[in-house]
Formats: sequence, structure tokens, C-alpha cells
Amino acid sequence: MTEIQADKLAELQAVRAPALGGRLIRWRTALGNAWHELRKSRTASIGAVMLVLLFGACIATPWITTYDPIKQNYRERLQPPSEKHLLGTDRMGRDIYTRLLYGGRRLVAIALLAVTFGLSVGIPYGVLSGYFGGKVDTVAMRFIDGLLAFPGLLFYLLVVTLAREWKIEGIANDAVLVFALGFAFMPEVARLSRGTVLAEKQKEYVEASRAVGDGSLSIALRQILPNIISPLIVNATVRLGYVILIVAALSFLGLGTPPPTPDWGSDLAAARDYMETAPLIAAFPGLAICYTVLAFNLFGDGLRDILDPRLAER
Amino acid sequence: MLAYIIRRVAYLVPVLLVLSMVVFTFVEMLPGNIIDTLVGSEGVNDPEVRKVLEKEYGLDQPVYIRYAKWLIRAVQGDFGYSLVTRRPVAVELMSGIPATVYLAVVGISLSMLIAVPLGTIAAVRRNTAIDYTAQVTSLIGISIPEFWFAILCVLFFSLYLGWLPSSGFANPFVDPWASLKFLILPAAAIGFRQAAYTTRLTRSSMLDEMNKEYVDTARSVGLSERKVIFKYTLRNAMIPTITISGLQLANLLGGTVVLESIFAWPGIGRAIFEAILQRDYPLVQAGVLVLGVIVVIMNLLVDLTYRLLNPRVKFG
Repeated sequence: MTEIQADKLAELQAVRAPALGGRLIRWRTALGNAWHELRKSRTASIGAVMLVLLFGACIATPWITTYDPIKQNYRERLQPPSEKHLLGTDRMGRDIYTRLLYGGRRLVAIALLAVTFGLSVGIPYGVLSGYFGGKVDTVAMRFIDGLLAFPGLLFYLLVVTLAREWKIEGIANDAVLVFALGFAFMPEVARLSRGTVLAEKQKEYVEASRAVGDGSLSIALRQILPNIISPLIVNATVRLGYVILIVAALSFLGLGTPPPTPDWGSDLAAARDYMETAPLIAAFPGLAICYTVLAFNLFGDGLRDILDPRLAER
Repeated sequence: MLAYIIRRVAYLVPVLLVLSMVVFTFVEMLPGNIIDTLVGSEGVNDPEVRKVLEKEYGLDQPVYIRYAKWLIRAVQGDFGYSLVTRRPVAVELMSGIPATVYLAVVGISLSMLIAVPLGTIAAVRRNTAIDYTAQVTSLIGISIPEFWFAILCVLFFSLYLGWLPSSGFANPFVDPWASLKFLILPAAAIGFRQAAYTTRLTRSSMLDEMNKEYVDTARSVGLSERKVIFKYTLRNAMIPTITISGLQLANLLGGTVVLESIFAWPGIGRAIFEAILQRDYPLVQAGVLVLGVIVVIMNLLVDLTYRLLNPRVKFG
């Protein structure tokens, strides 16, 4: 090997695997840049602030509420908002503000877990399928198409029904929900990652990695994967909002977690009976859902503008 | 084109197979089996009778044979009998399809009537108050849960103003006026929500088109702004809008479960939902399968139309 070739090789390897210290610095700059970039988009900043408030409230729930979300108190049922009960009480005399916060905590946790699950299954699926190509890819993608053929709520209806028939309750029921929601997100993630892989596979840096003797798997994971992240972040953020809508719709139909667990969807359904006498009870869970979904959508929209400058120029 | 169509149709086969497998597995994974349901409802508990029944329903055969038999019957439109009404499942489902299609088509048409003008104005008057209002409204629109929006509509228009019935259905061919009254709220609930998506899409594809060179050319030869927008830009920008509306329509056919149950709309979504509540699983199974097939076929048709409308897309 000539000296020049050796130099070139060293250079390539340096690009390929930066030292740990270098990585840390890079992460710190990345975070700093992220904050700077975020402030460029008004949509993203508003979304970020709304999300910080949301997550803050979810984490702080036990400290910023004083009532029990489940214990009934018939003496104080259907009360209007007051100093004692910030948003009033529901038909069982439970403090609505407390129930909203506990419900939100659960809902956001389910959404985060579901989306994480979808990403962690979908990314390897899509990357490997796209990377290997050929017959593997064809079969893998037809399977994905089949999963995408379930319109709207139908797939969840099947899963939720199964859970009900097997008498899966409480935390196990939430786990089933997380699994189903994540599984339904998986095809979208897989498709997106596969598309990016197909585009990136042709590029020079992949060629370079192969030239210095990297294995397929290592190239797929270490070189191509990072390029998928930015479209996926946007997708996952928007999906979080969508997942919350689905969970709420399922429990609104009475197919989610059964009462008395605090849940925005089922609380809303229960409030329908009191719509004429106490319409506010139906207003709060709806507003809570709106706020949360809007926060994710705003943030996702803003991120898209930032990460895809081609669109942001408009 | 023909080769492309054939290939796309061939692609449907594996997709439909996956769909049917998932749906079949669903019933397989239920605890107990159909005999338990029958035995439970008819009070038969004799092991001998059970054996005969199992044989009659083919439960003594391995799962793949049962799947194959089920699939062959399903392809012929034979989905067995409803456990609740004892009528053929196919009949039960078919009776729900017209109402669902009626609601979905009106809903989507309404959404396009709102979204296309709104999205176009927002794009043409970019960065003005109109544009911001359209953007904010549509963002809020996609964040509102449809069932909550529906409930608010009922609260305001039925309970408070008393203008419209809160739920129900009338056949448009028998009593068009009553039918229209029942239709307005659910169709509006669908229309406004879908319009939120379509407005965003129309706006961004209009902006895309307006940046293209042919627009500059058209302007430079002295065409009026109105002509440039209505005759050239809008036409091209409508291609993605129509495509998405077609996909939305496909999804609505299977996705109106919630709205149909709020408004007591006798469609296929509500039929499936009620079947779930009544544990009528043959109906659930067939319903999901039929809706899935409709969606897959609609998607194919939309895709082909898109390619017809837009010759620039290669038939790759």
C-alpha cells in the first residue's frame, strides 16, 4: 500500500468512527444548534413550549393535585368550577382537574411508548429490507402493504376486542394497546426508512465504507441509519398526536380502559349524559385532547420546516 | 400503462392474503370457539353433541385447512351466519354499505368545497392575515378529535338551537328532506375535519406550482394573474388534492365507526362496532375484511387515476 492510499484510508476511518471525545462535542454542538434552529420557526417554538408545559404537568401530577382521581364523593357531584374544584366535579363527585392530569399522564405515556415501539421495530425492518433489496425486499414490503390495508380504527378494534375476550385488564391492557398502536405505526416507519435507504445506498460515502471493508450490516446501521433520523423525527412527533386521538376514540367508544381509570375519551363519553345540564364536563377532556394533539402537530410542523429547508423557504 | 395495471393488480394478491390472514387469526385467537358460543346460547352441553358440532363446523381439521376453506368461501361472498340475527353475514354487511358510502361521499365533497378555495386563497395571498387564519384553523382542525367536534355540533345545533336532529337516518330516496336534515351534522363533522388536511395540502401544492417556470412564462407573455392561477396553476395543483381526497374517501369508508355510532348512522362501521359489543364475531371478521378489500381497491384506483392525470409520473 502506498503512503497516499494509507493516508486516504486513515481519513476514511476517521470520518467513519470519530473518537468518543469528538462525539461528545458533536452532541453538545448539535443540542446547541437544535435550540438555535428551533427559535427560527415560530410554529416549532410554540409547539415546544406547549410540549414542555404538557410534559411538566404529566411529571408533576402527584404534586400539583390534591384529590384522589378515582374516589367517589356523591356529596359534591356535578359542581361548577370553584376555588375548591378548579374545573368542577363530574357525575361521581370527582375533581375534574385531578382526573384530567392523571388521564393525561397515562395517555402521554402510552403514546410515547407506542411510538418508540413502532420506531424500534420499523427502522430495522425498513433499513434491512431496503439495504438487502431483491426478493427479501419485495416480500417484506408486500407484508407491510397488507398491514397498511386496515382503514382507520379497524385494526385496533380487533386487538382491543381480543384483549377484552381474554379478560386482559389494567396495566396489561395498556400494554396491549401500546403494542397495537406501535405495530400499526411500524409499516409507515419501515416504508420511510426503506425509501431513505434506497436513496442513500447509491451515494459515495456508502461506497467509501464498502471500499474500506465494512460489512453490510455495519454500513446499514452506522452509515445509513443517521440519515433516516430527521424525516422520522417529524413523522414520530405527528404520530404521537395521532396516537392520542386513537386512544381517546377507542375509550370514547367504550373499548379502551374501563372506568374508573381516568381517561379523556371515556370521561368525555360519560359526560355526554349530562350535556344539557353540565356541558362544561364534556368541554374539558375535549380541550385537553385538542391541546395535546395540537402541541405535537405544531412541533412536528415546525420541525419539518427546520429539517427540510427546501420547504421552509416558502 | 396496461402492463403497469396488470402488475399493480398482481400486487394486490399478497396484500389481500396478509389482510385475510390477520382477520382469520383474530377469530382463531379468541378464547374458546364457535361451539362454546352456540352451546352457551342453546344450553346444549353434551360432549357427543359437541363432537358432532365440531365436525360440522370443521373444527377437527388443522388450522391451515380451515383457513383455506374459509378463504375460498369468503371469496365467493359466503361469510357464514351472524350469531345474533342468524341471517347471512354478507346480507347484514351489504345493508350497511349504502349508508356509509352516502355519508363518506357527501363528507368528502363538502371538505373539497371548503378546502380547495381556502387553500388556493391562502397560497395566492401568502403571508397575509387570510393565509395565517387558514393555516391556524386547519392546524386546529386536524387536532380536534372528531367525536368531540361531533358532540359540540350536536350540543349547539340540536340541543341549543334545536335546528337539526341529534342522530338518526332517513332514506334519501323516500324522504329527501328528512334525510338531508339527518345528514348535515355527520357530514359536516367529517367534512370540516377532512377539509383541514386538504386545505394544508392544496396550499402547499399551489405554492409548489406557483414557483415553477411555466408560471413565469405565462406571466411574461402578459396573461392576467387570474388566468395564470385558475387556468394553469390550480389545475396542476389539484392533482395531489384529488389523490388525497380519494385516499381519504377510502379511509372514511372504514373509518367512520365513531361518527356512525354517535349519530346512530346505519352504516357498515356501526354494524361492526355493534357486532363487537354483541360478540358477533363472524360479522366483525367479515366486516373488517370487506372494508379492507374496499380500501385496497380504492387505493389502487386512486393511484391509477393519479397516473392518468399526471403523465409526468413514470410507469415504473
